[in-house]
Amino acid sequence: MRNRDGNYAFSLSICSLILTNSLVLDASEYLISYRYTVQDAILYSEKLQVAHAMKKCEGKAQKPLILESYADNDLQKTLLANSNEFIDYIHTLGLHVRHRSLTTDFQNKSTTVLTLKTTCFKVDFNDNSAIIAPIK
Amino acid sequence: MKYSMLLAALLSASTIMAANEMAQPEVITTTQPSMMQVSDSKKEYLLTEKKDVRISVTGQGVAPMNTVSPAQAYALAKRAAVADAYRLIAEKIKGVRVDGQDLVKNMMVQRSTVRTSVDAMVRNANIIETTFKDGLCEIEMEIMLSHSQFAH
Repeated sequence: MRNRDGNYAFSLSICSLILTNSLVLDASEYLISYRYTVQDAILYSEKLQVAHAMKKCEGKAQKPLILESYADNDLQKTLLANSNEFIDYIHTLGLHVRHRSLTTDFQNKSTTVLTLKTTCFKVDFNDNSAIIAPIK
Repeated sequence: MKYSMLLAALLSASTIMAANEMAQPEVITTTQPSMMQVSDSKKEYLLTEKKDVRISVTGQGVAPMNTVSPAQAYALAKRAAVADAYRLIAEKIKGVRVDGQDLVKNMMVQRSTVRTSVDAMVRNANIIETTFKDGLCEIEMEIMLSHSQFAH
């Protein structure tokens, strides 16, 4: 018959592995990137990407932004609920501008892409608010 | 005695004028990019330690036709206008790369192509005023440039 105590060491090692990973992967750090494209003076596409940081970010937290948060520690939902404030805040951090225009026989077409390169943010969730600060 | 007093008064007046000039940042205003480049060629703006340069631009954006509400139209047009304003600032600070190509056949222009491109990083630009009328959003944006930002 199989000894039940034999699984104890295995369970312990799994638990310690999970605990170690949860300590190493800082849950309050996120990677955020944002990009939007304007074609011929009309907004063409917009993309905001949010992901947990898989390793600890180096640097110090900079100028923070405080957002109302009703979602249960869900950064994506919090950012979508306060998208205008957050996008205005992103603009203050600095965006990369890439513009291309083509004029053929006096007819002009243009494309402008504004990009926030993938940046690490420290996020602290409180009762009804989330404090977001870029780490640089 | 009379001449020395007059000289002293002139000197103090010129010192006050110079101090006022140093305190106010230089202003560059842009609304139409093509016209701006012509007017700018006449005057060269220099960034010095004692003089900041303020660049002011007006970006324009249009709402798409398929919006579901005026609020959405405003939000989308504003986003486009901000991108346009950023582009104008980038053009002013970093410059524009221009490539032109004309195809001439039998002494006639068959095709004329002009490509322009801008790549830059813009930080600390501020929106001064936003207007939205008849589907067109205009954003006045400015950025302050100081010597210390570039002196590394």
